[in-house]
Amino acid sequence: MTETTTSARQPSAPRQRCSRCVLSAAFPSIKFDAEGVCNFCRNELGSRSDDAAIDRGRAMVAELFATPKARRATYDAVLCNSGGKDSSYTLKLAVEKYGLTVLSFTLDNGFIAPAARDNIHRVVDALGVDHITVRPALNVFKSVVRAASVLPIYREQSLTRISAGCNACISLVNTTALRLALEKEIPFILAGFTLGQIPANGIVYRNHYRFLAESREESMSRLRDAVGNDVNRLYEVPDSVIDRVQSYPYNINLLCLESITEAQILAEVGKFGWQRPSGVDGCSSNCTLNTFNNYVHDRRYGYSPYELELSHLVRKSLMTRSEALEKLADQPLEQLPYLVKLLALSPEDLATLGLSADGLVVG
Amino acid sequence: MNADQVAERDRILEELVTFVARSFMVQASDIDMDKSLIDQGVIDSFGLVEITTFIENTFGVKILEQDMTREAFGSMNKMATFVCRRKNGET
Repeated sequence: MTETTTSARQPSAPRQRCSRCVLSAAFPSIKFDAEGVCNFCRNELGSRSDDAAIDRGRAMVAELFATPKARRATYDAVLCNSGGKDSSYTLKLAVEKYGLTVLSFTLDNGFIAPAARDNIHRVVDALGVDHITVRPALNVFKSVVRAASVLPIYREQSLTRISAGCNACISLVNTTALRLALEKEIPFILAGFTLGQIPANGIVYRNHYRFLAESREESMSRLRDAVGNDVNRLYEVPDSVIDRVQSYPYNINLLCLESITEAQILAEVGKFGWQRPSGVDGCSSNCTLNTFNNYVHDRRYGYSPYELELSHLVRKSLMTRSEALEKLADQPLEQLPYLVKLLALSPEDLATLGLSADGLVVG
Repeated sequence: MNADQVAERDRILEELVTFVARSFMVQASDIDMDKSLIDQGVIDSFGLVEITTFIENTFGVKILEQDMTREAFGSMNKMATFVCRRKNGET
């Protein structure tokens, strides 16, 4: 039994999907059985392993937050706040459930929906949280997104859960959050990732910068070749900061410890005045660039970067399969002309991406 | 390593390979045990985070800042040897 849906890349082209989740035939290593169910849905061993990792993450969080706080730090945690529903709800968890003193931080990539900016202010004000915004040089960031979209900056294996453009942005968020945490001696970095976006073994981890930076050097080198040395100040923490480090902060993804539906999250953040922005695709609640990034990923690899996350939510009964399919289908491709104009893509870039000179999908 | 330690190391390697194959959607037979997983394109930097967390949780081995080197994590074989030695109290 197979089921077909249409794709943003080729709106009229059928796409085989798992009959239980929403993974499609182009997803790496996927196999379908006679009932049309994928091997990821059938993998009970993996599911039990994830449950065990979540339990360990929960125990680690309890232990870490119970440890007497370092009094030198003004804040217990810096929280990466995109303005989306998940990071907004994570901020609520940090403040109300865990009692943390939080510094909220937003990386303004120039593509945050105006309503998402309003949401950020509403939520931090409602929770009484200090907030800062860091805006990297927009010309450099756009060059990074352009390079990630048309060149093989990142290995394909690292892009099963995320588009290249989002990966470039999230890396920048993570680096900036780490720099803030180190400079202000903040012991925890919080983010609103959900399971599916990150693996269960990534719920709590220590951010050993030099070791991880070494492993990123290959993609950084490609990025430098494409964009220039401006990327260094965006993606690297200065030695003067690292040399003073006595203890690296923990990165903690609190939302992965919760069993909560999107509707429940929306209801909770709605109490702070959070409203769903317009102009974003069905898989984002803050960033207008996501539509472009999804398009590029789908065109390059033949599947959506959100399939893994949404499939996880479906398997955990936190979202129905039809809701997940609706999100995947909600891609406002009519915004591509506006977005590619903002990114100042060249005619060659547009051709590489299957877009006309006006930014319309041509094939 | 004595014979018992070699057998233990092989068991650790098998568990690591199973984890990597499942988590990073690769066939175990496609992994070169003597090359860096990053260099092979199997994982990225976050993959290293996942593996270190898996090692700590599964084998009860505490990984310290100074352990995070290519010598310890530069290949599947190196990781298995590192875990085996640490479990046996060696530094």
